[in-house]
Amino acid sequence: MLAEALAVLAKELRSELRSRVALNAILLFALTTLVAVAYQIGPYRIHEEDRPHLLAALLWIILFFAATSGLARVFVKEEDAHTAKTLRLAARAGAVFAGKFAFNVVLLGTLEIVVVPLFCVLLGYRVAGPSNLVLLLAAGTVALAAVATMVAAIISRASGSGTLFAVLTVPLALPLLVMLIQGTRAAAGSAELAAVLPALRGIVSLAGVTLVSSVFLFPVVWHD
Amino acid sequence: MTRWKPVLVWLLGVWMVVVCWAAFFYAPTAQGFKGESARIVFFHVPQAWVAVVAFCVNLVASIRYLRGRDPVDDIRAAAAAALGLLFSVLATISGSIFAKIMWGSFWNWDPREVSIAILLLVYAAYFALRQAVPDEERRGTLSAAYAVLAFVTMPFLVFVVPRIYWSLHPDTLINTSGRIDMESRMLQVLLGSVAGFTGLFAWLYSLSVRLARADLRRRQQEGG
Repeated sequence: MLAEALAVLAKELRSELRSRVALNAILLFALTTLVAVAYQIGPYRIHEEDRPHLLAALLWIILFFAATSGLARVFVKEEDAHTAKTLRLAARAGAVFAGKFAFNVVLLGTLEIVVVPLFCVLLGYRVAGPSNLVLLLAAGTVALAAVATMVAAIISRASGSGTLFAVLTVPLALPLLVMLIQGTRAAAGSAELAAVLPALRGIVSLAGVTLVSSVFLFPVVWHD
Repeated sequence: MTRWKPVLVWLLGVWMVVVCWAAFFYAPTAQGFKGESARIVFFHVPQAWVAVVAFCVNLVASIRYLRGRDPVDDIRAAAAAALGLLFSVLATISGSIFAKIMWGSFWNWDPREVSIAILLLVYAAYFALRQAVPDEERRGTLSAAYAVLAFVTMPFLVFVVPRIYWSLHPDTLINTSGRIDMESRMLQVLLGSVAGFTGLFAWLYSLSVRLARADLRRRQQEGG
């Protein structure tokens, strides 16, 4: 199973490195939004006391909407290219989900490595607990990738999948976003792990239940 | 059971009339609220309760559909979701009226207000997905998978987010200390109203399912 999942991940990475469609989409979306936000707000337009909360919200809005522009591709492209049937024969459902999920984690991680430092520099966002922010980003990436991968699998089997992805993902990801924004605000204000712990617990739990339920739901959707 | 149904429906009607009378004339005025605003609790809480019950019925019917692929289970899931959407809207409206009286604004972005708004979005997304899938069997499978996925995020909306973050909302019926802090007559009326609204949901649900089953039979007969 692990070998199959790694093979699916390797296939996804090779395919993405050849075309760079998803990576270009999410990076360009994020950078364009970031430049527009930074140009309008810059490092001085927001009052000092409002900065931790407003900038945390802006950071996650940029990351989330950039992610929604590319994460659905993992399954939609298989349906568009008519390769889904071959993939069904080549690998077990669990391995396909694990491979696609891991690819989305890599994609989101790449997005964050580029966007978060740029965001901090361009908007003058000072984070008192950088290690706590890294923890939040890691947990948020896993949770968001889990939700997005499962929704991508669902919408790839429906018509009008591009717009449907955002419609279905937003309600499921909103509690996650609320917790991520609150956690990032806490990380910006304090270096103590205790400050981000309530949000971190919620995010890890959400990632866990989404992944566990996806393990049971994905084969049903995939073999429908 | 069929013979007793009209009697039960009449009893339900009488029960709801008594509940409405008791909400205004039997229950005392609550302390700590503006004027008689707290009386809305006898309608708002049961509406929110029914919205959650409908979500649970939708989950059970969705799991049954995924196991047996019986179209009637899909009908049951869709009927529960439609009523859940209706009662979520009613709970949002009644909550907004209370918010306007108590806090001066219909919408305050309180965590509980946000959680009911997200629940509404989940229901709306469920129906958007159903409309995007023309094939009946696939529609049943995909919407059932989405319903299960949405259900696992619901505890985070209803229980985690409002408890992590400060809320304007009055304590829920059973508060964090596990006690019910409500005057005895108020509690009697509230429990009576919850029972009445649950009965109303059961009646509307059975009507919706019967109508949809008749429509399904007609389409099957027309299809040969």
